[in-house]
Amino acid sequence: MFDIQNLLLVIIILPLLGSGCLSVISFSNQHLIRSLALQISCVTFIFSLFLWFFFNKSLGTFQFVNKLFWIPTLNLNIVIGIDGISIFFILLTTLLIPLCFLTSWNSINKNLKEFFLAFLIMEFFLIIVFCVLDLLLFYIFFESVLIPMFLIIGVWGSRERKIRAAYFFFLYTLLGSLLMLLTILYIYYQVGTTDYETLLTFSFSNHEQTLLWLAFFISFAAKIPMVPVHLWLPEAHVEAPTAGSVILAGILLKLGTYGFIRFSFPLFPQACFYFAPFVYSVSVIGVIYTSFTAIRQTDFKRIIAYTSVAHMNLVMIGLFSFNVIGIEGAILQSLSHGFVASALFLIIGVVYERHHTRMVKYYGGLVHLMPIYIIIFLFFTMANIGLPGTSSFVGEFLILVGSFKVNTTVTFLGATGMVLGGCYSLWLFNRIAYGNLKTQYVKKYVDLNKREFFTFLPLILGTLLTGIYPDLFLNSIHMSVNMLIELMYF
Amino acid sequence: MTLNLLTFKEISILPELFLGVSIIYLLIHGIFLTVNKDHPLIKNSLIYLSILILSMTIFLLANDNLTVLESTNFNYSVTNDYLSFTSKILIGTTSIFCLFMFNQYLTDQKINHFEYVLLILFSILGLFLLCSSDDLLTAYLAIELQSLSFYVIAAFKKNSTFSVEAGLKYFILGAFSSSLFLFGSSLIYGISGTINFDDFKDLYFYDFSENSLNSFDSTLLQFALVFILVSLFFKLALAPFHVWSPDVYEGSPSSSTFFFAVVPKIALFVLLLRIFYYSFYNFFDNFRYFLVLISVFSVLIGSFVGLEQRKLKSLLAYSSISHMGYSLLAFSTGTFEGLQMLYCYLTVYMLSGLCIWSIFFLTRLKNKYTQKQNKDLADLLLLRKSNSFLAFSFSVVLLSIAGFPPMIGFLVKFGIFLVSIEASLYFVALISILCSVISAFYYLRIVKVMYFEKGLAGKLYYPITSQKAIIVVLCLFLLFLLFINPTLLYLFSYKLSLLMLY
Repeated sequence: MFDIQNLLLVIIILPLLGSGCLSVISFSNQHLIRSLALQISCVTFIFSLFLWFFFNKSLGTFQFVNKLFWIPTLNLNIVIGIDGISIFFILLTTLLIPLCFLTSWNSINKNLKEFFLAFLIMEFFLIIVFCVLDLLLFYIFFESVLIPMFLIIGVWGSRERKIRAAYFFFLYTLLGSLLMLLTILYIYYQVGTTDYETLLTFSFSNHEQTLLWLAFFISFAAKIPMVPVHLWLPEAHVEAPTAGSVILAGILLKLGTYGFIRFSFPLFPQACFYFAPFVYSVSVIGVIYTSFTAIRQTDFKRIIAYTSVAHMNLVMIGLFSFNVIGIEGAILQSLSHGFVASALFLIIGVVYERHHTRMVKYYGGLVHLMPIYIIIFLFFTMANIGLPGTSSFVGEFLILVGSFKVNTTVTFLGATGMVLGGCYSLWLFNRIAYGNLKTQYVKKYVDLNKREFFTFLPLILGTLLTGIYPDLFLNSIHMSVNMLIELMYF
Repeated sequence: MTLNLLTFKEISILPELFLGVSIIYLLIHGIFLTVNKDHPLIKNSLIYLSILILSMTIFLLANDNLTVLESTNFNYSVTNDYLSFTSKILIGTTSIFCLFMFNQYLTDQKINHFEYVLLILFSILGLFLLCSSDDLLTAYLAIELQSLSFYVIAAFKKNSTFSVEAGLKYFILGAFSSSLFLFGSSLIYGISGTINFDDFKDLYFYDFSENSLNSFDSTLLQFALVFILVSLFFKLALAPFHVWSPDVYEGSPSSSTFFFAVVPKIALFVLLLRIFYYSFYNFFDNFRYFLVLISVFSVLIGSFVGLEQRKLKSLLAYSSISHMGYSLLAFSTGTFEGLQMLYCYLTVYMLSGLCIWSIFFLTRLKNKYTQKQNKDLADLLLLRKSNSFLAFSFSVVLLSIAGFPPMIGFLVKFGIFLVSIEASLYFVALISILCSVISAFYYLRIVKVMYFEKGLAGKLYYPITSQKAIIVVLCLFLLFLLFINPTLLYLFSYKLSLLMLY
């Protein structure tokens, strides 16, 4: 009765089902709400592990493909399926959602039910975005993610500036993606369908490709974010609650890179080659500029937000090297950024929950009283720099190797980002961990409790696993990236 | 025997006849009961009676024997085709919901005149006739019947200067635009010697340009058509002719605003379709860029001016202007798909308008001293705390009409952009997409007021009754259902366009 082919469908429906269950529970029954939401998200994660287990690594094509009819008269159908590129994004999503629930276990008191509902609905949207094989539906769910995130920043954010931040987030991404809508309409008008696999067989003229690519680029660049349109990110990160930041850094930024890999590369290959120098220069500016900016920040969260921008721009350099190593490195670096940046935001969340400030100057000498916390912080600081043995090292190394084959100068400039990364990460760590205890500001320190420790444990394991044995991930990615390269060059 | 009775020639307007007779009956009913002291709330019984009458009219309309009839009658002045049938069904259903929602509001506003409900029924009769009118004179008379009732219900709150001002403004401008329509019709009659839409089609369907036998100068005819267009744009409140609408919307009692914001647009579009897609389709290309300009202008005005509104009703007025702009954009493509999308858009506009205004009526402020309806956006401050369901549904509808994905509003807007690109209106599509972002800003502002702003000094609301909750949930459910399965909407509009054009 149950076909393994339908596993993906089950994973998509589970969060929706869970949110349906949650919505009928009375809001006063807080413990039940928390535990139910956590259990649903954990079950989803376990199912997605099964998805990975049953995933055929020797195929580069789409697997678990399901087709549902939506508007047959307009030739629009819901097609879902995954390949080696999207499966890890789905895994990352389902992994981070339970961690978000764990970290906001006690810190969210107001509108608890709505908070969990928003997260489950967002999980549903995100999983669909990563597995839908239809351009229009991709756009629809790409946009839908905005609504829960907008609410999360606006309702559960920390300060008065949050409304401004929510608007920033909303309008930057919306403005970009409406151009994408226009191009999707154009594509639909040209090809007659938005089905992904049919679109792959269609080739646009060079002139069309440039225009369409630019519209897609603006939309995805606002998500990644590339330099001129990155302003929403620090705002949104600083104002969002911890769990919101984790999702924002962990998954939402990856929507941009995923969009590039999935749509811009195979649909407009000529335009990709044409615009590669432009992307290189913007990304290099992004890496160096945001790294310098990160050094100057006084807000704990802002520093990490700027480092995310730098790392994601490095991912762009890897992507636009157009060879297997570079693209695989970029995907791996996206994953590793999902682990590391999320963990760093969780780390901020721990001290914020205790002391309700994120200013770096109020902290100091935490190593004396919060040793476990500092050990984890040190581990992720090192992972952020790219210490060998952690996931970031593998990703950044592969990216630099890939781009070295294409453009040495860009590789050199991108690599300075790693040096600067060491600069801001270590300095931040020094300021927080060492020195004297600033007892004039904060009197009472409590180390991590069991819940918080186990929130970090999966991320630590993930980072180490990827760092030590990256082939575990790479062998699933490999065939799909080969297919992608084949589509681009031939 | 029954069959013989039912095949007399007036059968094509049997629902309208029934409605008209019932209105007269209701008039008698009202007159007798107002002098009777035992019935203090006369409008209650009238509202329920008129809901009953409208349901029976819809039943008559939906009767299968009549829909296959497609008869044209009364010396070819009234037609009964699929277009008029669906529009009437839509108008009738929406009006039933409207009347249901008014009830409480009229009690609060102490409007206990039975004439109010009667005038609404008269305007519905006018709209029905407008939908099935087959010549210019019937159309004019139907418009007049409809708008005269509207003028009166706009000025119905006699103790409010705003309401009287609104009624007067609406009357003067409405009468002016009606006269433009009449002038245009008389010019057309002078040129062609007929006022019937079918005759126009027979006369002007073929190209008159160079190499045809009867050389014919169409300049004067187009001149006359411009008058008709402008008059209908006045009625639809499209951009350069929109100035009356925010004032009238703001001033008149909310129940009247509800009614003329939601219901009559579709009937006016039916008339536009009959004139420009059926009778004078040959001249459509000459008007196309005029229509496109008007629609872009309406979208721009609706989005930008709407940003500055702080009152809910004028904000909804500007939102309605921009929506009419989008509909006209679909209309101006002049294609089959354009017609289909126009109809989808109008249906969804009515659905979401119904939902939004119902919620507007359901948020009744708990305030002993003044029986004021909520007016400013800031009055919605505590809605989420006092009734979270209402706040949730309000934000869902707002996001739907702003065009966000998991609701039907996105899909129909997408359809509009699609047809405008198919008609190679790339630049127009770009502008209207950007404008939809801008208008998203003011819809989001309402969501922001409800969800994000903290306020201790807010206003509290009465709880809502379960019947009205059911109506809101139904509309909300439809918004999602139509997104998940839009085939129903598309097929129905497809059939409509097919029967309209071929």
